[in-house]
Amino acid sequence: MQHKRNMAAPCVGIVGRPLLHVLPRFGRTTARICHFSYVSAYRSPLKTKGVIESKSSPWNLMAAVCLQRLPVISAEHSPIEQQFKQMMEQVEQEKSLLSDHEIRLLEDAERVIRRQADDYDSDDEESGDQEIVFGHDLEDSWEQNLKNFHPAQRTKADEDKNMSSVQRCLADSLVLLAQQEVGSEKLWLLPQAQWQKGETLRQTAERALASLSAGLDATFLSNAPCGVYKYKLPKAARTDTSIGTKVFFFKAILSHSDAFAAQHCPVMWLKKSELQGFLKPAYMLTVDRFILDL
Amino acid sequence: MNVIFQKLRDSLTQQAFLLNKMIQLHRATPSIQHPVWGITNERQYYKMPTHGIGRWRHLLEKKVQRKKKDHLQMVPVVPSAGTVYGTLNVTLSGYDMTVVKCFSQYIHHMCNRLNIKVEECYALPTKTTEVMVMPKHGTKMSVDAVLKTHRRVVQLRSLSTELCPIFMDVLLKNLPEGVQLSVKEHTEEDFKARFKERPELQDLMAKLN
Repeated sequence: MQHKRNMAAPCVGIVGRPLLHVLPRFGRTTARICHFSYVSAYRSPLKTKGVIESKSSPWNLMAAVCLQRLPVISAEHSPIEQQFKQMMEQVEQEKSLLSDHEIRLLEDAERVIRRQADDYDSDDEESGDQEIVFGHDLEDSWEQNLKNFHPAQRTKADEDKNMSSVQRCLADSLVLLAQQEVGSEKLWLLPQAQWQKGETLRQTAERALASLSAGLDATFLSNAPCGVYKYKLPKAARTDTSIGTKVFFFKAILSHSDAFAAQHCPVMWLKKSELQGFLKPAYMLTVDRFILDL
Repeated sequence: MNVIFQKLRDSLTQQAFLLNKMIQLHRATPSIQHPVWGITNERQYYKMPTHGIGRWRHLLEKKVQRKKKDHLQMVPVVPSAGTVYGTLNVTLSGYDMTVVKCFSQYIHHMCNRLNIKVEECYALPTKTTEVMVMPKHGTKMSVDAVLKTHRRVVQLRSLSTELCPIFMDVLLKNLPEGVQLSVKEHTEEDFKARFKERPELQDLMAKLN
């Protein structure tokens, strides 16, 4: 998927892949670091495990992934920002010195005037080579190139309304929500999975993401969770072994998504402001804390 | 006459004796006129009470003179429980120098704010790329544009894992257009790549070996 940025220069294609081929590099290093910490983090619990084995925690552990798609194009300027931008451009223009091209145009104009004078002697010319291409001609060719360049449309109204598409709202960052069965109800929440013995919580989160759909490539930012949500079961359902669930959230950044991958359950990409309409209030409060709306 | 002189001498010596006694007494008791001087041990000047009021260099920490050969001081810290990353290099690269510089400043200020230790903040040499255009009818390529890639590196020491996702998230969300971010561990090769090549030294070393 190519998203052309809204910049005037024709060399957009070179510049316009800022994060996509950088993040995998980051992903590899974290994988290395993850390996170290996994090994060493596992060593210390081994000693105390013998003591804890007999008494397991009454909480049900789950790990969820907060997958974010970063904005693809720059956000629109607010009216004040637009006015300030215009003012700054004007100030910089007035304070600036002439560029090489502008000096060249002035020299060309002078040379034309000198040629048209009566007492013109071509030997008097100071510069050795007569420049064949004038500044004006260059400008014309550049204008032609600019006319041939058509930037892609910034927003498509249809695309924006489709909640399940990744291409929605290119100027904002989106969060992935999945509809999963919890107990007996189907709820919209961040994709989660049950923790199994012998794996780290981060691996559980990765498993949660993989179980959703195969086409999402994500880079997890850290081994440490960014938030916790505690849910106590209603008193009638509580037993000795299960008081409730604890959900640990891990942040991840989407690096590549295959639009045609099969989705196992309905999926939505939402902005932070839209989350409130779909999440339960207590859950929303916890999630609100760690999702950055920049 | 002799008797008078003798009496005078006696009286003088008596007075001297008395004076001596008085001086001794005076020294034992603290003087009332300048009470501070008796207690402190500093060198005092009797003329100027404000002597040395502007001294400030004695309050600064002693700066250790760095040798010219700056060896890699940081040994990469292996993450352990309680977890901290080793020396990390946050590299920013882009075509627009003002934007890249500004963003590296932003990262530096943010690290100061979050108490992440910034070990070094340096720039790598600029790489110039020439974009050549080949016309449809013809073989000669002409220069279309000259692009300069600027790079800035912010070196962080001991970034804790709790802070890492927040830090990375903020960086990624605030990344300006046209700037590429890369976070890697610092290695010897990165350090040595900054030095200039010395062909004469290399020739001499080759001759020795």
